[in-house]
Amino acid sequence: MSLFGTNTGFGSGGTGVFGTTTTDSHNPMKDVEVTSPPDDSISCLAFSPPTMPGNFLIGGSWANDVRCWEVQDNGQTVPKAQQMHTGPVLDVCWSDDGSKVFTASCDKTAKMWDLNSNQTIQIAQHEGPIRTIHWIKAPNYSCVMTGSWDKTLKFWDTRSPNPMMSLQMPERCFCADVVYPMAVVATAERGLIVYQLENQPSEFRRIESPLKHQHRCVAIFKDKQSKPTGFALGSIEGRVAIHYINPPNPAKDNFTFKCHRSNGTNTATPQDIYAVNAISFHPVHGTLATVGSDGRFSFWDKDARTKLKTSEQLDQPITACCFNNNGNIFAYASSYDWSKMSRVNDDCYVHYYIQQQNTSILLSINYRGRGLCRTTSF
Amino acid sequence: MTVCNFFLQGRCRYGEKCWNEHPRGERGGDYRGTQQPSRGGQTNTHVLHVIYLTTLCFCEQNRIQIQPDSTECVLQNKYHGITRVIHRYRLLQMNSSDALRFVSLLHACFYFRDTIQKDMEIWQTSGQWPFSCYSVLPGKLSGFVEVSPEELRLEYYTGRASGDLQAYMNSVQQLADQWRSRVQELRTMSSSTRISVISELNDPSSQTSTHEFGSSASGFGTTSSSSSSGFGAGGFGPGSQSSSSFSFAPSKTGFGATNTQHASGFGSGAFAQPPSGFSAPAASASSFSFAGPAADDKSSAAAASSSVSAFSFKPSPGGSPAPADGGGFGQSSTRAADTGLFSAHSDLTAEELKEFTAKRFTLGQIPLKPPPADLLVV
Repeated sequence: MSLFGTNTGFGSGGTGVFGTTTTDSHNPMKDVEVTSPPDDSISCLAFSPPTMPGNFLIGGSWANDVRCWEVQDNGQTVPKAQQMHTGPVLDVCWSDDGSKVFTASCDKTAKMWDLNSNQTIQIAQHEGPIRTIHWIKAPNYSCVMTGSWDKTLKFWDTRSPNPMMSLQMPERCFCADVVYPMAVVATAERGLIVYQLENQPSEFRRIESPLKHQHRCVAIFKDKQSKPTGFALGSIEGRVAIHYINPPNPAKDNFTFKCHRSNGTNTATPQDIYAVNAISFHPVHGTLATVGSDGRFSFWDKDARTKLKTSEQLDQPITACCFNNNGNIFAYASSYDWSKMSRVNDDCYVHYYIQQQNTSILLSINYRGRGLCRTTSF
Repeated sequence: MTVCNFFLQGRCRYGEKCWNEHPRGERGGDYRGTQQPSRGGQTNTHVLHVIYLTTLCFCEQNRIQIQPDSTECVLQNKYHGITRVIHRYRLLQMNSSDALRFVSLLHACFYFRDTIQKDMEIWQTSGQWPFSCYSVLPGKLSGFVEVSPEELRLEYYTGRASGDLQAYMNSVQQLADQWRSRVQELRTMSSSTRISVISELNDPSSQTSTHEFGSSASGFGTTSSSSSSGFGAGGFGPGSQSSSSFSFAPSKTGFGATNTQHASGFGSGAFAQPPSGFSAPAASASSFSFAGPAADDKSSAAAASSSVSAFSFKPSPGGSPAPADGGGFGQSSTRAADTGLFSAHSDLTAEELKEFTAKRFTLGQIPLKPPPADLLVV
């Protein structure tokens, strides 16, 4: 697949154009579209860490590929490189120095991609598709953590084919997040496990899920001292739970809120409820962004418990999102996430096929006052 | 102020509004509109137990409304959409914390029932992802298969790659059908579903994990709504003398694949017979009075009370005279005791046990703890 594939986006630099009346529901926010997005749904996005100059975006997709773009300061995106797996790629992450990218795929392997040499080697093997991959950098060790549908969580030293450690989980891993020294894994059947990573990873606590339905995504947030203090958990039922690990007053501090539902507060007609596909925290302000199957993204302030902004509705669900390292760029991917399943009464197959078009990655670049920031300082 | 004579007899029709004094601490039982004094020795404890049992069986048209702050229960009847207060019980002699405890347990039953039904309705109409587990505190409800969208999508992709999409379609169809039937079942809570749900919630340890995707033969498809007819079919018809078959087959319903050996935690499964027992002819307003057949309140003209008399505690023809009959409960007593609504034999002192096993309570020595399930006599 060539980098300049069939789906060339517009890639125009400026955003924030007022007064245009044409409703382009594919990109209603008039954000920058990344050039040559993948051909199939994008499952994950990751921006490069601050140790590396510039902004590089990695996106993994259901077309078995992982692509890398450079996002320049003027908003232009330049496709840089691409690697393939033999199965759809479910998760990607960067190493802390920004030289390597780790990719996890349904082909039960995880690979390490050295960007300088553009080579990949396999570093992990599971018995089932690998759903999450994260890089852990501890003072005394560093490793890759992979969570899989085979109900195990494994930790890999990239040099060895055997895992450093393997932890058993009660159910398949659906999503995870790592902010040293804490890791949170949400599994099937509403399982929620917190791990502590000091010295060596070990299970810290199993938490009774605050949500009633399937877990979909999780993201850890930090407190003012940049220590991880809790996480946000999203479910398929248009609800996000904010949960602190050791709150002074659990009943008051932990809460859930509804999002990604149609009809707002109008309770007369039945609401449409959409899954929350991804949650991402702004690295500087601590506000959180949620993206859902309804094709919208929203920004929230969890401390003030308010919604800051909701986007216009895109024509497709938004499947992944990510902030860059200084919070100026918010990337979100518009592609099909298999959620229409539930609305299909007849031939499912046809619906899937129709949906697989126009995948794109959009970048919302924050010029001053665009609404990404909180009004009060963090 | 003069002491109200009627109140002392338990039949003051003015209740709170009475101009005479209603000394507190006397026997309460302030039955509005009933002409019958309560039998000697039958006090509020009995009342409460009756409420317990009868609410659990939960005829659709009867409802107990509990004000959480007070020790007051109001039994209402909704017939043709009109709510009438039939009896108002005041739990005077019971220590208020115990009363509240019972009341809150009842309240919990209702709450669960209401929440579950409402949630199911929302789930059906909102178009959210169907293949998710579902839980209400404290436990998880069985019958739902948890599959994430990614897993489903992977199945599709592998099916497509191998050229055989039919298998995928079939399994999706099957999952969808299972889901639909389970949701419908929970939404229209028949008495049997109610019982199994309540028992599941009360005993979360009996949960088993659900099936993974692809194991198509999960026995849930068989709906269980038809079962449970093993119960005292004729238990409560008018003039039933038998009050037989209190035993209910454990694992009664086809929820079968998993848990619920306790078909019901309450030992009152027999009551679960839907309206038939209650809504005798026109007036479904069943009067719960303890009094004999002649007791009806103003709301119901019909002497449907005969059917209700079966519930009364008094050892009248309808009721079973002795614990011996409660033998039917015996099988389930141990299980019922687990649920916490009834006490185990070991929890009660010898005197309390004696009180429970006696035909009537003796004034002044009525135990405050709930009776053991097997000693419940109706």
